[in-house]
Amino acid sequence: MELLLIFVAAVLTNNFVLHYFLGICPFLGVSSRMETAVGMGLAVIFVMTLTATVTWLIYHHILVRFGLPFLEYVTFILVIASLVQIVEMFLRRFSPELYRALGIYLPLITTNCSILGLALFMVLREYDFIEGLVFGIGAGIGFTLVLTIMAGIREELAFADLPRAFRGAPITLITAGILALAFMGFSGLIRV
Amino acid sequence: MNPILVSVLSMGLLALAFAAILAVVNRKLAVQEDPRVEAVLEALPGANCGACGSASCRDMAERIVKGDAEPGACPVGGTESARRIAEILGLGEVEVVEKVAVVHCGATSEQKVKVAEYRGVKTCSAANLLGGEYACRYGCLGYGDCVRACGFGAIYMADGRPKVDVERCTGCGKCVQACPRGIITLEPYDRKRGETIFVACNNPDRAPAVRRVCEVGCIGCRMCARTSDNGAFYMDGNLAKVDYGKVYESGNWDEVVEKCPRKIIRMERAA
Repeated sequence: MELLLIFVAAVLTNNFVLHYFLGICPFLGVSSRMETAVGMGLAVIFVMTLTATVTWLIYHHILVRFGLPFLEYVTFILVIASLVQIVEMFLRRFSPELYRALGIYLPLITTNCSILGLALFMVLREYDFIEGLVFGIGAGIGFTLVLTIMAGIREELAFADLPRAFRGAPITLITAGILALAFMGFSGLIRV
Repeated sequence: MNPILVSVLSMGLLALAFAAILAVVNRKLAVQEDPRVEAVLEALPGANCGACGSASCRDMAERIVKGDAEPGACPVGGTESARRIAEILGLGEVEVVEKVAVVHCGATSEQKVKVAEYRGVKTCSAANLLGGEYACRYGCLGYGDCVRACGFGAIYMADGRPKVDVERCTGCGKCVQACPRGIITLEPYDRKRGETIFVACNNPDRAPAVRRVCEVGCIGCRMCARTSDNGAFYMDGNLAKVDYGKVYESGNWDEVVEKCPRKIIRMERAA
């Protein structure tokens, strides 16, 4: 039950993008087409899940054991950067199209604050290993969900007859805001 | 234990461990790539406009290296890019004729006869389904699909018709595809003189029908064909056309421009 709550909270009520406003850069950058949005989402799910497990292990078995929790930021960034590198090599080998479509946003997962946020939240909320894993998967799925919803809306918006002043970034930001309001509707569901 | 020592040690070991993992993965997932692809990509404009038919400049570079496409296949890069690519691949000299877009409709919104009011989606492709606002079924619809299609800012609307900035136009042909009435074509550009000559009308109907719908439509009077000294202008039915193989060699094309009674043999000059 506890695990389910953590999962639902990470996906819906405390969604990383629309509740914490983390990871806005790829959220706006790769949401113009559904195909890239799904690819990016899968990459983020992968990185988040791995980050959650690896950072948990390193934090509890190395940093805490040797009394070095103050090194958590440096360590987490190190872990994330390495994982993103691996994902990048993997994609480049097995899906060059996706690799090119994601472009700069793929290496930018490294500096995606939602991934670091995930690792820090995990420490802050004192999750155990399994909880952390579920939290990581949930956060990744939540990110993908929002990204694909946004991509779907933006694909439709591309054909809308908008006033010139709203075309491009402005309408995207307004859409994101309304989407965030909609997700506020979930907030009574669970208290974290 | 000294916390500084422990920090340095643990961080160093962690970094080393990750570096080792990355090194192994890098070896295992290495991608073999022809270095010439990168070089050819450098020589291409990098606009990713898609005019060549490939999805991106990289895609084009791969095709050129493989031999599936000519070095001069990039319409945007022109002669200079083609030369550099041929050099990289060890091919001989290549010559590319530079082309720019020309709009075969020169009527301003006042000169065209308006027969309807259109309130639908403000794009040419949508308006064309219903026929648009103007009586001429061959002319510009005026909603600027070509302007939006241009990735180089080379087309702009002036008095309800598109104008081409020949200095910015790269001849990529995006506007040609965007125009539902097919009034834009790519034609050779005389770089020396910095201008293109073209017939600003696309209406093949006979004179009375043309006069009813437009003040500046081609009435098929043959004045240009008769005036030209080397046959650079000819008639295709009722519509005057330019023979681009001859026109820039013609000695008296300015006389032709002058004599056209409808003033629709026009030039687009570099500013």
